[in-house]
Amino acid sequence: MYSSLVRIQNTFGFFTTVAFVVAAFIAASDFVTPRAPVVNVLKTTNLQVVRGRPHYYSSKKEEYAIIKFTLDADLSSLFTWNTKQLFVYITAEWPSTSVSGTTLPSNVTSNQAVIWDTIITSPSADHLANIGPIALKKLRKSAAGKPIDPSRGKITLKNQRPKYQITHPSGKIAETEDVTLRLHYNVQPWVGVLTWNQNADYGLWNALGGGLSKKFNLPALKKKDEGKKAKA
Amino acid sequence: MAEQLLEQVRDVVDGQIDFEGQRLAELIANVALSVSGIIAFLVGFYLQDIKLAVWIALGGTILTFIVVVPPWPFFNRNPVKWLPVGGSAPRVQPVNLVLEEKITI
Repeated sequence: MYSSLVRIQNTFGFFTTVAFVVAAFIAASDFVTPRAPVVNVLKTTNLQVVRGRPHYYSSKKEEYAIIKFTLDADLSSLFTWNTKQLFVYITAEWPSTSVSGTTLPSNVTSNQAVIWDTIITSPSADHLANIGPIALKKLRKSAAGKPIDPSRGKITLKNQRPKYQITHPSGKIAETEDVTLRLHYNVQPWVGVLTWNQNADYGLWNALGGGLSKKFNLPALKKKDEGKKAKA
Repeated sequence: MAEQLLEQVRDVVDGQIDFEGQRLAELIANVALSVSGIIAFLVGFYLQDIKLAVWIALGGTILTFIVVVPPWPFFNRNPVKWLPVGGSAPRVQPVNLVLEEKITI
């Protein structure tokens, strides 16, 4: 520590140690914060299967399922000081045996496809949200002066259109049986490990309550003339 | 004249401090950084505000740098007392000579 340069080096060196230790404590503070996410309602409201092409120039025709749903979930307990953002997504799941006439490997026993997702940022991460300047201003205003905003974890969607229309590697999805919707989440912290929805309680973190819809069957393919009739 | 000026600049950049000052500087740096880290965590946890925690930690670190890095006067309170150069006693070269003679014999 005899000259300025040596003092700069020593101080910075210890600063990195302190920063690492504080970060470790912040990551550990997640484990003493209870989590009790719950899904009150998750149900389908409208089911439709249509024929379409995977992209504009494709000559291949596939069946696409459009699953509209209603969701009421309270994920507010997932928002702590260490939460950067929360990724919430809904998958449709069905056993692979129920699809007739497919040639899938025998070890594939179930299918899962994402139909809808969203990113919920914490107020400390609003600047990372991939939205326009006006929407960003609105978002910032909604949590002005609040370091965390658990109310953002309350999701209410009514008859929501899916973001993604799903199909199956075989191209056939109409009349699939025993389909369920499942809500998943992924907590992305500022420092620490990524965590997903759990099926069992771990310490203070409770398993996701609800989150699974009733089983339903996908309808038959919508007939072309029916579509014309509907348009007319 | 230019060399004198250069020498002064070199002294300021070097910022040398005495041995007691070095001990004190190390103590201040370690304690101040640790304390600012602890305060940052506790305040951030109780107010649930991670940005505040980061700013407290960074602010504490900058303060530590300001206190520790420049050669403040309180780091030079115990200068090393060197023996006088030359002084009244003549150079004691003869002693060496005698030793050498003894060895050669």
